[in-house]
Formats: sequence, structure tokens, C-alpha cells
Amino acid sequence: MAALGYWRGVALVAAIFLAILLFVPAWFDLFEVLQMTQYIVLAIYALSLAYIWGFGGIVSFGQAGFFGLGGYAFAVISINMGETTVPFLLTIALCFSFAAVLGYFMFYGRLSDVYLGVVTLVVTLIMWKLINHTAGPEYAIGKARLGGFNGIPSIPIMRVPFTDREMDPGEMFQYFMGLLIFVYLGLHVLIRSKFGRIAISIRENEVRTSLLGYDIRRYKLMVFSIGGALGGASGAMWATYQTFIDPNSFSLEMSAKCLIWVMAGGVGTLIGPIVGVVALQYLSLKLGETAFINNLVILGIILVLLVLLMPRGIVPTLHDWLRKGLALVRQPSREGAQ
Amino acid sequence: MSPAPEPILATSSLTMRFGGVVAVDNVDFSMSQGELRCLIGPNGAGKSTFFKCLTGQLRPSSGSILFDGDEIGGRQTHEIVARGIGIKTQVPNLFEGLSAYENINLAASRRNPADAAARVADDMLELMQIAEIAASTVGTLAHGQRQLVELAMVLAGQPRLVLLDEPAAGMAGEERARLASVVRSLAGDNTLIVVEHDMDFIKDIASTVTVFHRGRIFIEGHVEEIMAHSEVQEIYLGKETNAAA
Repeated sequence: MAALGYWRGVALVAAIFLAILLFVPAWFDLFEVLQMTQYIVLAIYALSLAYIWGFGGIVSFGQAGFFGLGGYAFAVISINMGETTVPFLLTIALCFSFAAVLGYFMFYGRLSDVYLGVVTLVVTLIMWKLINHTAGPEYAIGKARLGGFNGIPSIPIMRVPFTDREMDPGEMFQYFMGLLIFVYLGLHVLIRSKFGRIAISIRENEVRTSLLGYDIRRYKLMVFSIGGALGGASGAMWATYQTFIDPNSFSLEMSAKCLIWVMAGGVGTLIGPIVGVVALQYLSLKLGETAFINNLVILGIILVLLVLLMPRGIVPTLHDWLRKGLALVRQPSREGAQ
Repeated sequence: MSPAPEPILATSSLTMRFGGVVAVDNVDFSMSQGELRCLIGPNGAGKSTFFKCLTGQLRPSSGSILFDGDEIGGRQTHEIVARGIGIKTQVPNLFEGLSAYENINLAASRRNPADAAARVADDMLELMQIAEIAASTVGTLAHGQRQLVELAMVLAGQPRLVLLDEPAAGMAGEERARLASVVRSLAGDNTLIVVEHDMDFIKDIASTVTVFHRGRIFIEGHVEEIMAHSEVQEIYLGKETNAAA
């Protein structure tokens, strides 16, 4: 019963996403389509953290490490290969592997949650520092110069898979939206699988999970690596969307934003962080247009209010309100019937 | 008595030190397949630490633990559990946000595919007579019910050696009697070690009692004999007065 309700919710969201995929490019102008493409990329980035945090109990303060690595890896590989399909897949594989190696030391070294947060943060900062110091012409991988703080320009635009044809903005929007739907559904299937349920049990109680005979290190490593792969994929999408990547993709701000989106939208949900990305990015875009007060101040106030009023996040809180509202609506009518 | 079979569990000179404190001190403990043993002793006697060494939650400072002839001292918890040791911890360790059924099902899922795990979980609910709380979130249940859920989880893993750390705590009358009958019915097929303070409960379930005191085995013997033992009474009375102070 409960499972049926669960999948009905997931199917509803997927149907809305599909409608957006089909109709947005025709109904909205180019600027808006580009803007929404950006939200999609960042939504996948947010999902990479939403998954490991909400469904594996792993709080990474360095998700930007995977975002940046994905962006740079895609840039370097696609510039060298001159196409995008294989580079995209290679990038995902590389980020998965990088997360697996980093995760191996963290989880098999039995780092506690706090130290895990610190390690992910520090690794990201090291990557940011390193990539900033690659300005000279000697820092090149094949045809791709890393460019230091100037970043890498002229990254190939995403091609239609297995062809040489560049996507136009509408097609790229649809392709990315399709990927978002795939990731959203895929994560739900994963969460409801035996593997996913054990990962959730680790979030709930690590000691009991290992006392049931499950090797928690292995499960956490897998969850973290999947998160790394998703973070890398979003970084690659970001790079091809902008045709440009710079060290800011590794920045503390990029990691912090991800945490904020997930927290604001609701930890332990997948739709929440997507809503978080769209709401907060749209807000900062609109605030950026007004000049009457520094928009970062307003954004900060909104975030503080959000945490105070909706500590569990937008989506879980709205869900509760909706349920209570429906109960209120139903109650009087039932009394009236009596 | 029949000739003593190969012990299923045997520790020799098992020692666990925390800095200067010796929580478990040169313990030689052994029991045979199918036995039901009670561990008693005042708080701080080392009973829970002993359990943590047996389940790999702590790495013993020295000594050995043989389970079914294999050394398990210092191995990873999940490896030890996979070999067939299940534990109900002193403070219940449950998945607070999940339902009782989901808790038990997760425990059964390690050895079984989905459909078999569901069957095992249903059996456990029936065995513990807790089917009516199957859908309740465990975090909202009373302490006694939580104990039964945890016991169901432990048994769902089909362990050969069952360790129960204060299973009767927080239970009254009918619930406690149910627990005692479950524990009695497990003995024979399973081997059990039960840590308890409740003497009536112990009399209900066990024949052999091991008394821990200051990290060592103080005495081992039949329950009546132990309870009549003047020094054991002293140890316990000492604890009672300490607790009152």
C-alpha cells in the first residue's frame, strides 16, 4: 500500500518533468530555455549530494570537488578527442573511480562523520589550489591547456550522442532534462532496492547495521562513489553548457551552495533538492536585478528564515501542510454528514 | 552428564584494557553447543565489554576467542556476525525511523532473498507476538516492545550463538513471561548467553550462572547454588548500596 503511494508520487514527478521536457523549448524564449538548462545541470549536482546525505548519511562538504573534476576532465578529454559522447562517459567513470579511491581511505580508515566532512572539504580546496596554479603553457594535457585561474575556453558543445552534430539549445535542454529524469528515477529504484534499504539502515544506525552482519564500509563506499559519479556528470554538463570551465567550479562557494540547496529543499527527499536549486537560483537571479540592497544580504536573510521556519526543508514542510490542510477540509464535511 | 562436546565458544586469557582500567581481566570462559548461560555481576563488572569483544565492537587487548574452533578475536563485526553470532545490545540498537517490520526484514535480508526474508520476518513477528505493532515506527514504541523487536531482529539473522544483554529490562508481567518462554525455547538448538540483573527472570530461564566481578569470572555454578552463595550476595548487595548512594 505504502509502496504504491510512493511510486505514484515518483511517477507524478516524472510525468511533470516529461511535460517540461516536451513543451518548454517550444513555449519559452531562448534566454529562458538556457536559464532552465542551467537549473537542470545544478539539479543533478544537488542530487549527487542529496543521495549520499539523505540516503546514506554521508555529509560531504566537498561535493564541488567532483563537480570541478567532472568539468575539467570533460574539457580535457573532449578537446583532445574532438567529440563529446565518449568523453562524457569517461568523465563519469573517472569521477566514480576518484570517489572510490578517496572513499576507500575514508571509510576503511573508519573516519567519523566530522572528519569525513573535513577531509572532503580539504581535498576540494587542494584541488582548487592546484588547478589555480596551472596558468603556464607547460600545464597542458594533449591539446588542452589547463589555463590556471583563466580556466579552459572553447570546450566542445554537447553533440547528439554518437554523431558529430552539435545540439542546439533546445535539444541540449531536452537531452539534459532526459538525463535528470533518468537520474531521478534511477536513484528512486536504487533507494528502494535491497542495497538502498541497507544504506538507509546505515544512516539510521551504523552499529546495528554491522551487528546484523552487513559490511557498512562497503555500502558507504558504493554510495559515495555513485554520488561522485553524479557530481562529475553534472560538472561535465556544466562545462559543455558554458563551453568554459574555471577553478571556481572547485570553490568553497560551489560546495556550500550544494549543501544549502539540499538543506533548503529537504534532506531525505530527491524532489526537495531539485526544488531548492530552482527556487534559490531563481531568487538570486531576480535579486541580482534589483539594485536597492545587496542581494546576498537578502538571500542570507531568506536562508535564515527558511532554516528557522522550515527546519526540515521546503518539500517535507509543504507536504505536511498539505496533509494537515486536507485533513481539516475533510473533517467538517464528515461531521456534516453525521 | 554426557562427555563434554567441543565448546562452541571458548575464550582464553581474554583481556580488554582502557588505559589503566582493565574492564575484562584474563577471562577463560567456555560453553558448549545448545547451552543457556546467564552472566550476572554488578554494573561495571565487564559483562557488556565482554560482549563487545565477542562481537568485534572492541578489539581485545590480548587473549583469544575461539568460536566453533576459529579465532574471531579482533575480526570485523560483520564477519563475526556472518559466522553466526547475534547480539541484543544493552541499550537497544534499532533503526528508529523505520517500522518494526522493516527493522526485522532488514535483519532477515542478509541471509535470504526478498520473499524468504519476508517469511522469516513474519515468523519472527509471530514468535514474539508483536504482529500488532509491525507497522509502528520503532522510535515511538515502549521500551519493552523495542526489546522484543530487537530480539526478533537478532533471531531473524539465524545466529548459532545468541548474546542478550539485559533483555528483560523495561518489561513487566506478561511481556517478561513471553520473553522467558522464547529464551527457553531457543536453548538446545541455539546457544545463548544472557546478561541479566533480574534474579527471578534468571531462575525462570537458566541453570548455569557465571558471575563476573571486576572484570574476572568470580564463580560459576548452578543457579540455586550461586544465589545461596554468601560472597555473591555481598557483591550484589554492595552494588545495591552503591546504587542507592
